Order: sequence, then C-alpha cells, then structure tokens
Amino acid sequence: MEPVRHDGRQEITALQSQPAVARKRRNWKKYLYAVLLLLPLLLFTIGFFVVPMLYILYLSFIDTEGLGGANAVYSIGNYVRFFTDPYYLHSLWLTIKVSLYTVIVSLLLGYPVALTMAKCSPRVRGLLALLVASPLLISIVVRNFGWYLLLLPNGTVNQLVSGLGITHSPLKLLFSEAGVVIGLSNAYLPFMILSIATSLYNIDPSLEKAGAILGASPFRSFVSITLPLSLPGIVSGIVLVFSMSMSAYVTPALMGGANVPMLPVVAYDQIIHLLRWTYGSAVSYVLLGITLASVTIFTRIMERGRYREVFR
Amino acid sequence: MKVTGKIRVAVAAISLVYILIPLIVTIPASFTSASYPSFPPHGFSLQWYAKLLERPEFVEAFWNSVKFAFLAAFFSVLLGTLGGIAIAKYDIPGKSYLVSLLTSPLTVPQLVLGIALLIYFTPMLLAGTPTGFLIAHIVICVPYVIRFVLTGLSGFDYTLERAAAILGASPITVFWRVTLPLIRPAILSGALFSFLTSFDNVTVSLFMVSSDMRTLPLEIFSNMQDAYSPIVASVSSVVILISVVLILILEKIHGVGRLLGSAH
Repeated sequence: MEPVRHDGRQEITALQSQPAVARKRRNWKKYLYAVLLLLPLLLFTIGFFVVPMLYILYLSFIDTEGLGGANAVYSIGNYVRFFTDPYYLHSLWLTIKVSLYTVIVSLLLGYPVALTMAKCSPRVRGLLALLVASPLLISIVVRNFGWYLLLLPNGTVNQLVSGLGITHSPLKLLFSEAGVVIGLSNAYLPFMILSIATSLYNIDPSLEKAGAILGASPFRSFVSITLPLSLPGIVSGIVLVFSMSMSAYVTPALMGGANVPMLPVVAYDQIIHLLRWTYGSAVSYVLLGITLASVTIFTRIMERGRYREVFR
Repeated sequence: MKVTGKIRVAVAAISLVYILIPLIVTIPASFTSASYPSFPPHGFSLQWYAKLLERPEFVEAFWNSVKFAFLAAFFSVLLGTLGGIAIAKYDIPGKSYLVSLLTSPLTVPQLVLGIALLIYFTPMLLAGTPTGFLIAHIVICVPYVIRFVLTGLSGFDYTLERAAAILGASPITVFWRVTLPLIRPAILSGALFSFLTSFDNVTVSLFMVSSDMRTLPLEIFSNMQDAYSPIVASVSSVVILISVVLILILEKIHGVGRLLGSAH
C-alpha cells in the first residue's frame, strides 16, 4: 500500500474511492454548512428588501389612501393619474432633462481624467484614483454645503465673476437647474471616470503603436482606436450616472429646492408630508420603471450599432 | 506630448479641482470670524467649533452617527461574510442568481428603498425606532460586504483549508485559523466601507428618523434647509476629517479606487 501523502490531490482520490453512501453523507453535510451560513443573510434580504419592495408594488395598485383591507379598490388608477397630471409629467421631464445634462457634463469632464489615468505610471494612477474616488465616501450633504459657499448669490463664484466685471447682477446658480446639474455631476463624475478608466486599462497598447506605424496621427488613432474600444466603459458610465441622477434626492432637495421639483423630491413630499402612501408607492415604481427602461433601451441601441463587436 | 495631450491634462486638472473643490472650500470657511459662512473666510477664529460643542443636538447626533455606523458595520460584516463564504465555497445551484438577489439592494434607488421600508415598518411598529433605523442601514451596507468577500475569495486556495482539515483541525478551527486570516483585508475593507456608508447616509435615514434619533448628516441636512450658519461649516469639516482618516486606512488596506471601481 502506498504511504498516505497529506495533500489535496491525495484527499480527492481518497474521497473518490470512498463508497457512494459515505460520499453522499459528506455532500449532504457540506450543504448543511452552506445553508447554515447563508440562511441569516438570505432571510434578512428577503425579509427587509424583497418583501418591502413587493409590498409597495402591491400598494401602488390600491386606489384608496389606506393600506388595503376590505375596502381597498384595486386598479391602475395611481399610474393613470401620474401620466395624465401635467404637474407630475413636468416633474418627470425635468428629472430626465437634468439627468441628461448631468451625464453630458460628467462625460466631458470625466473622459480626459480617465485617459490621463490610463496613460500615466501605476503610481500616479493610484494617487489619481484615490483623489477621484474618495469624495464618494464623504457625505453628499457636506459636498453640497461646499457648493452653497461657492454658488450663493454673494458666494465665491459670483464674487469672482462680478470682480472680473463679467456680469453686474449676481448669477442665479443655486436653487436652479444649473445648481442641481453642478451638484449631481460633482457627485457622480467619479463613477464616470472609474468606469471609463477601467475600459481604457484593458486596451492593448500595441494597437495604438500599430496605428502610429501605419501613419495615423495621435488624434486619428484616438478617434478610430481608443474611443471605440472605450465605448463599453462610456456606456456603463452613462448608464450609472443617468440612473443615479434620476433617483437622487438629497442634491435636488438642497441645490434645487422648491424651484426644481424633480421626481424624487415630489415622491418624498407625497410620502412624508401628504402621507399618500399608495400614490407615493406608484411614483416610486414609475421612477424605477422609467430609469430601467431608458437604461435598457440605451444599452440595446449602443450594442446593436456599428461597434457591436467591442461589447463582446 | 503634443497640443492635444496638453489640453487633455488641463481638462483633467480642471475636473479634479471640480471634484474636490466643495471639500476644499469648506474647511477654511469653518474658521471664519464673521457670522455668515463664506469662502475666502473673513478673519480667523475657532468660535464656530466652540459653539458646535455647546449645541447638544450636534454632539448627540455625532454619537448617534458613530453608534449606528458601528452597529451597521458589525452586523453587515457578520451576515455578509458568512453568506459570502458560503457562496464562494460551496457549489450552490443558481449561484449567479443568488448573488444578484443578495446585491440587488444596490440597484434600487435609496429613495425608493427608504419609502418601501418606511411603509413596511409602520404596521410592524418598527418605523422611527433605532431597530428600524439599523435594519435599513444594514440593508444598504451588506451587498458591499458580499462583493468584497467574494472578490477576496476569488483567488482563494482551498487546498489550504483541506490541508488544515487533514492535519486534524475542526471546521471551526479551520475557519478561525486559516480562512479568516486570509480574507481579513476583504473583511476589514467591508467593515470600514460599511461604517462610512452608514455614517454618511442621508436618503434612507430621512425616512427612518424620529425626533430623538438624528445623525450628523441629517442634522447638517436640516440646518442647511433652515438656517445658513458657519456652524454647518465646522460640523461639515468634522465629518470630512473623520471620513478622510477612514479613507486613508481603507486605501492602505485595499486601495479606494480599486474598491469603488469594483463595487459599482
């Protein structure tokens, strides 16, 4: 008989040579461990995430103000009301518009940073990644407060602008759509940068070299090599920034206030101030549905287009 | 480097300033001697920090923030690590569906999550209670922990566990002496990340608060809507300072850029 060697492979052969019954018992025991380890997490997620989400979906189909029960009338009335009321439609349009501006600003400001990160040494890249990403871990209210200092009628930006003699009356930056776009793009720009940078890191540098050998100018090789190959990162950045902007609450509430009633602000009022829970639930699902739908449509269009192969 | 390269670096520099400027201006503004906050500040004084300590609601909110963030991090790490290990280690049927289910709280907007939990908690009498608040925070933190643990275990060498078992270690000893130390960086990152996520949260917390249970960001939020005082600059600076210290620790352990790049 061979001497037993204590290594993994030996154990696998030992396992395989065991009778089937023993192996089965061992598998069963393995599953028991897996179930025991997973069960608390699974129950928690189902109990405090899945069920509440399904519960408000159910409530959104109740026409009365109450939480169901014997008198409840089930219909799609809440959704019909949303899509026929000019106030909510305006709010929805405003939300989409502000989110699109936010996406454009973050893309224009973000791409050069991502490109710089891809081209510099690993050390500088790490430092840039830290500078770009760490604000994400600092409370959004604090970042919005910084913008208050800068954007108030007598704030830093207006002092600069009037000091340089560009305008005479202060610019209306805060409590306007511009303020919300500034706040949101500041908050979500890091996501755009990191997702574009990730796709740029994966581009084979020899492709650009090949382009240069074949006579392409740096600009030409950027347009026909780097840019198309970074499209997956651009798309995921756009999708992330758009969907987060659509559903942001704090920044629109602080930087826009009552002047910019974006959908999340409206939904918050329905729930907290007006206590219209069934309607507020419907507004939540409209927000969720429209965000998901626009993101899906956009991704489909991009993947179907000329650059289909880069999305593989 | 040609002209295009110079333009690129210039725009990149502007973007970096754009990202960091709201944080950069807040700290000097907190040292103003005027009665309104501004950048650049007027004069220099520490009065707004002194006034901060005299305001019990801020001090209490600070301790609440620390307490809830600590508890949220503890429970998130407990649930997320055990679950993450089970997913990574065992051949569970429908594994990818399971992971998407468990991390799905990240894909739902926090506003919608807040609404759902408030409505769900009210008949259960959990709305406005510390327990409800804590549960809501764990819901947001746990998916991150799962991701960190799964990433930490992705290159894990299971033969080490098997070797320990063959040498006679019980499953619990194997876990404590082999598995846990090897994925400690992932767990620590998950804990710090959860702490910061909970410490900074506003959107979900807004639906969970009661008058006797405010956290620091919520206090800043309502102060910004009501009054505009340099005290907000000083309390914001405190939040920035705490966050920066924790971020630097996180960077040492794992790399913040990599963490957030993989987290979303």
